[in-house]
Amino acid sequence: MDPRREFELMMTRRQLFGKAALGVGTAALHTLLGGSLLGLAGSASAAQGARFPNFAPKAKRVIYLFMNGGPSQMDLWDYKPKMVDEFDKDLPDQIRRGQRITTMTSGQARFPIAPSRYKFTKHDNGGDGVWVSELLPHTSKIVRELCVIKSMWTEAINHDPAVTYIQTGSQLPGRPSLGAWVSYGLGSANKDLPTYVVLHSKVSSGKVDQALFTRLWGTGFLSSEHQGVALRSGGDPVLYLSDPEGVDRQTRRHMLDDVSKLNELQLKEFGDPEIAARIKQYEMAYRLQASVPDLMDMSSETEATYELYGKEAREAGTFAANCLLARRLAERGVRFIQIFHRGWDQHGNLAGDLPSQCKDVDQACAALIMDLKQRGLLDETLVIWGGEFGRTVYCQGPLTRENYGRDHHPRCFTMWMAGGGVKPGTVYGETDAYSYNIVDTDGNPINPSVDHFTPGAVHIHDLNATVLNQLGVDHTKLTYRYQGRDFRLTDVHGHVVKELLI
Amino acid sequence: MTTRFFFGVLATALGVVGVAFSPDSELPIPKKIDFNRDVRPILSDNCYKCHGPDAAVVAGDLRLDQRASAVKDRRGEFVIKPKHSADSTLLERVQDKDPDYQMPPPDSGKPRLSERQIEILKRWIDQGAEYREHWAFVPPKPAPLPANVPSTWKSNPIDAFVYQGLVEQGLKPEPSADRNTLVRRVALTLTGLPPSPREVEQFVNDKKPGAYERMLDRYLASPRYGEHQARYWLDAVRYGDTHGLHLDNERGIYPYRDWVIRAFNQDVPYDDFVTWQLAGDLLPDPTTEQLIATGYIRMNPTTSEGGAIEAEFLAKNTFDRVDTTSTVLLGLTTGCARCHDHKYDPITQKDYFQLYAYFNSTAENPFDGNELYPVPTTRAYSPEQEAQRKQWQAKLSQLESKVSLAVAESWLTTAYVPLPVIGGWKISGPYPGANFDAVHGDVQPPERGEGDWRDVKIEVGKPAPSLVGRENASAYVKTTLTAKESRTVELRVGSDDGVRVWLNGNLVHDNKVLRAFGSAPDKVALPLKQGGNDLLIKVSNSGGGDGLSIDLGDPVSQQIEKTIGLKSTDPAGFLSAARKLYLQGGPKNALSTEYQGIVAKLVSQESATPLTLIARELPKPREAFVLKRGEYDQPTDKVGRGIPKALGKLPPGAPNNRLGFAQWVTSPSNPLAARVFVNILWQKNFGKGLVLTSEDFGNQGEWPSHPELLDYLAVRFVKSGWSIKQLQRMMLTSNAFRQRSSMDRVKLAKDPENRLLSRGPRFRLDAEVIRDQALYVSGLLREQVGGRGFKPYQPPGLWEAISFVESTTSRYEQDFNDSIYRRSLYLFWKRTSPHPTMLAFDAPMRESCVVRRSRTNTPLQALVTMNETAFLESQRVFAERLQRAFLTDTARLDFAFKACLGRPAAASEANLMRSALKRYRAKFHRDAGAAAALAGIGLAPRETSLPPVETATWMMIASTLFNTDEFLTQH
Repeated sequence: MDPRREFELMMTRRQLFGKAALGVGTAALHTLLGGSLLGLAGSASAAQGARFPNFAPKAKRVIYLFMNGGPSQMDLWDYKPKMVDEFDKDLPDQIRRGQRITTMTSGQARFPIAPSRYKFTKHDNGGDGVWVSELLPHTSKIVRELCVIKSMWTEAINHDPAVTYIQTGSQLPGRPSLGAWVSYGLGSANKDLPTYVVLHSKVSSGKVDQALFTRLWGTGFLSSEHQGVALRSGGDPVLYLSDPEGVDRQTRRHMLDDVSKLNELQLKEFGDPEIAARIKQYEMAYRLQASVPDLMDMSSETEATYELYGKEAREAGTFAANCLLARRLAERGVRFIQIFHRGWDQHGNLAGDLPSQCKDVDQACAALIMDLKQRGLLDETLVIWGGEFGRTVYCQGPLTRENYGRDHHPRCFTMWMAGGGVKPGTVYGETDAYSYNIVDTDGNPINPSVDHFTPGAVHIHDLNATVLNQLGVDHTKLTYRYQGRDFRLTDVHGHVVKELLI
Repeated sequence: MTTRFFFGVLATALGVVGVAFSPDSELPIPKKIDFNRDVRPILSDNCYKCHGPDAAVVAGDLRLDQRASAVKDRRGEFVIKPKHSADSTLLERVQDKDPDYQMPPPDSGKPRLSERQIEILKRWIDQGAEYREHWAFVPPKPAPLPANVPSTWKSNPIDAFVYQGLVEQGLKPEPSADRNTLVRRVALTLTGLPPSPREVEQFVNDKKPGAYERMLDRYLASPRYGEHQARYWLDAVRYGDTHGLHLDNERGIYPYRDWVIRAFNQDVPYDDFVTWQLAGDLLPDPTTEQLIATGYIRMNPTTSEGGAIEAEFLAKNTFDRVDTTSTVLLGLTTGCARCHDHKYDPITQKDYFQLYAYFNSTAENPFDGNELYPVPTTRAYSPEQEAQRKQWQAKLSQLESKVSLAVAESWLTTAYVPLPVIGGWKISGPYPGANFDAVHGDVQPPERGEGDWRDVKIEVGKPAPSLVGRENASAYVKTTLTAKESRTVELRVGSDDGVRVWLNGNLVHDNKVLRAFGSAPDKVALPLKQGGNDLLIKVSNSGGGDGLSIDLGDPVSQQIEKTIGLKSTDPAGFLSAARKLYLQGGPKNALSTEYQGIVAKLVSQESATPLTLIARELPKPREAFVLKRGEYDQPTDKVGRGIPKALGKLPPGAPNNRLGFAQWVTSPSNPLAARVFVNILWQKNFGKGLVLTSEDFGNQGEWPSHPELLDYLAVRFVKSGWSIKQLQRMMLTSNAFRQRSSMDRVKLAKDPENRLLSRGPRFRLDAEVIRDQALYVSGLLREQVGGRGFKPYQPPGLWEAISFVESTTSRYEQDFNDSIYRRSLYLFWKRTSPHPTMLAFDAPMRESCVVRRSRTNTPLQALVTMNETAFLESQRVFAERLQRAFLTDTARLDFAFKACLGRPAAASEANLMRSALKRYRAKFHRDAGAAAALAGIGLAPRETSLPPVETATWMMIASTLFNTDEFLTQH
């Protein structure tokens, strides 16, 4: 027999880094191979009959800037000037409409309005203009590139379920993350780096009072090779990448050659294609040991670049440095890059904490967009900014004109997207004067349902459907058979919001 | 348009249809169609979603899961007309090219049926279109053993079924693997550790008949057996050492894990194993073990996130229990019926919430309070300890009965001196200091009888937090103790951080310490004078929280105080307590010494025994409702408890609660439990289940590769009294298990995944086994069954990068003793960030139920075994072991192969390694620094007498062997 030949067919579905030339993911491979080599009945296989991308993609990759904790929409994007006159007045019942609130504030005697203390300015975005808070001086300069969605909504009202929901499409643990689905469906577009990379950012205030969970970049029931790989700013960028002191490159090469030879003997004896795959994986590990240090070596970055991203970009692990790294990953063809930044949970002392949060991310967000643009990468890179939910207009805790706190608010919040085929210079969706309910173009409240799409309101499933759409994937076709059911990222929901797209 | 009603509303949108493929197009089509094997999968997968069990969406009044509906005369038209495929519109519709008519419709996302599938439907209709109940919902019956199986091949009944399957495909089994391979295969399968070279030799040289069985029985009897088997169960029940959600604090439930290990080792029958876990608390007079087992009910991830809504998490916790129980014990995907009737299986939404009603009435708070031991809990005494305690308590009673009541009473009344009366408390401070020395030592105004004082509430026996309220500062509290007569009283004072105590102006205690609340309190003797005494206490705080806790009087004095109070209210209670107290606090004599000795043993055993989370049923069940779309805040019809109709009913006389449910699970009326467990065990031993989808035995699950074998084993399992070890033994003594695991072109084509068992099992070892094996081979493995999870080497920052700062698991604090060499089963399992070595090799997160791990082959795995500290350290210790035990390269190499791979090196391998040795020696001679660095890896003590060059050289050899496919693989 010729195990090598079988191996050529078998290996791809098992590998972390797909073949650049083919650019196919696991799901697609099952289709290509017709399952005949892979199992009796295509068990645990992918979307039957579907090939990804389903149609020409607008974006080759995604950079997702995740603001963990729930950024306050009405202090950043959702300008509500009338609230100034409502200071310390009670939130009207016809606005709250009996909607549930968290048990952190449900016991409050009053729900007094806390107007934003920040100045908003209208910026030219090439269209009707967009109001942006003074806390985002850099981002406000690139609004011509942004598609701002003011009418995001979710059902989840607490962090753990909400962040799990937006990342995996389910409030309970156990489902694959967005990046894992993308890796599963589309595979890798590069030879030497992971498909899905996760970057954690330092928070300069040190106040990181909300947690993250490995499940947010996990694979759920998908094969674990689709897991997001965290690139770390301290120690080994990829876990266990460095050889121990005393083992140089040549020694490693010798050792791997010997391992290979021993494995070849086994392959000859047992004929298991899995052995051939292992030989290949060790070679990839060896390559990874070179490609990652090359990725992390910033010496080729210019002064101008650091000026663009800000001086924090010189310090590894800051949000700014991660944005710069994200660009380098994008250049190298990494399919899905997610940067996490924590500390956006302003229940109290918003005036003390929010400026520092914004300072951490504002310049770098803008820099990333401009940098991608000047390198011709923005068109093919979808950039997303936002958190798991919004915050309440009413105050939590002590209220003054200068300072206040805000509780979680799932009924409306703001995210933005850029590049990757989304409409630049747009604002989508509107909220009422209290930034409490999503409203239609006439200002009437929309009571959106997850069951069907209501124009003007973007559920997190709609967002995820739209993101997949830009990657050329029909979110209803990207399925995985588990427990007899074809699971999707968007469950049985989700609608591609065409109005956001070019 | 007479056919229109057939499929109801038709699709109008033209979806993008992917390229259809037919994975099965080359498979032969059976002459005699078997509905369950051939037809049901086609109908279920392509049609049931709209024409199946979900009553709410049945389209066009057609149910294809029910024959009556499918063959109905519809104004002269027939969807299925038995024996007349040409008159059956089903076949027209699945072949129609018009998107308005074709089935499945284009917008379903389903591909067109393959030619083979259509032919199967055609033949089935022409053969009469008979329906059969789904195989898994019919109780297993013992199938007759296939005949004509060569006796050379047949070791036990398993082989008869396997042989038949092979013959049908024109395949032959492989011969038995050699003895070296067999002993490694059995040892790894049963214990998760490889055989030692001595064990290999013992088996290879045992020429008497029955050698294989003897070898197997040795491993079955090993305590390592339970450790290895428990691991699979822990995946299934999503065992973790943290709550799993939000704060992800530590949770104290490892005694459950240890009980699972014990249960496997003692071969607790599976029906008991299940019953104790589901309902041990409801058994009459449950033992501690039975209570510990109910940790199963408490295993779901929990939260206490600020702002969370209780009713929501009561529902979510219960969903998780129902879904896990269904998957693990029943192989059913009931979760699908949470929002609507199941699309494929006969489980209605009401059925789901009737199951839910069994699990929503346990006494714990839906929120975990972020506590280590959210109640209810029990002390996890082992059966031996429990027996011992009973003995001790009996002895105490016996000793008590020897005390004369009159003596006890008179002693109690005369010995009683009331504890001093504590006045109101006042506080002064904070008084800042430059550093902790100054904070603690500097004399502040209160010590000079000055200072501003205000009232403060301090209760005896309760912690008083935040007295200082800032970093690097102190505060003073004072009160008056009024004593009836002069006496010395014990003051117990706990503090965060340091503490000083003055009585009547004299310093009586000084403890400059950095500590947290909850540490053992300081005991201070207070010589009180009659009348008022001034008590002054200083708390010094360095940073973080601060506070004080105060208790007055030793425990016996406190007890006397309480007991004296009983005299008027509860005379009998008074007398019984009086004897106990007399023996504890009365005059010293032989009796009291013996008594106090036993009490001390009881107390010390109690404090040394961990608590563990258990289930307890509420006296009155919570109400349960069908929840619309599964939303906790949308209850509709009220439901009671009940077993889904399609799955039998409670055994006669069973209570309608968790206990009754448990009894149903293992009753003959339930068609699933035995099959599901047999399959999970088969999957563990052979790499894949007889039913590949071990998590789904429903309509959408895979047709079993050997249905008769599965049923045969299930029946036999029940008959054996649910003995897991017997079942295990039967599987491992089969010839099917003992085959060589080599493949050739024919077998790769006809049996690519070895579902037909045309060869022996061959698959990559699990994460835990790979790590344990490295430690074991080197001699580093520390074997100790049970106990709190350990924290080995882990790259810094992993927990810190994601954790909530106030979490008790926000910072990874590695252990620095030999517990880091324990088996991976005992790793401290933080569910939001499990150990990276485990994740790299496909261990699940343990946040949700997993009965089948993925098995990947990635470069990140190579990096782990090449560079992770525990692997490097194992290589170093192994290198030292080789040098210590053997003098020549040949002997060392020989042992290295035997220890790592369970076999001697082939000549070509030995040659390869000898030239590698030469190369590495030369290299490390040139670079002594490199050798020293490499030979210094890990905390394990170094053998300083050994030359680093040699150690480094042999480490490279070890590393080479540890990274071979063979080392990482069961074969």
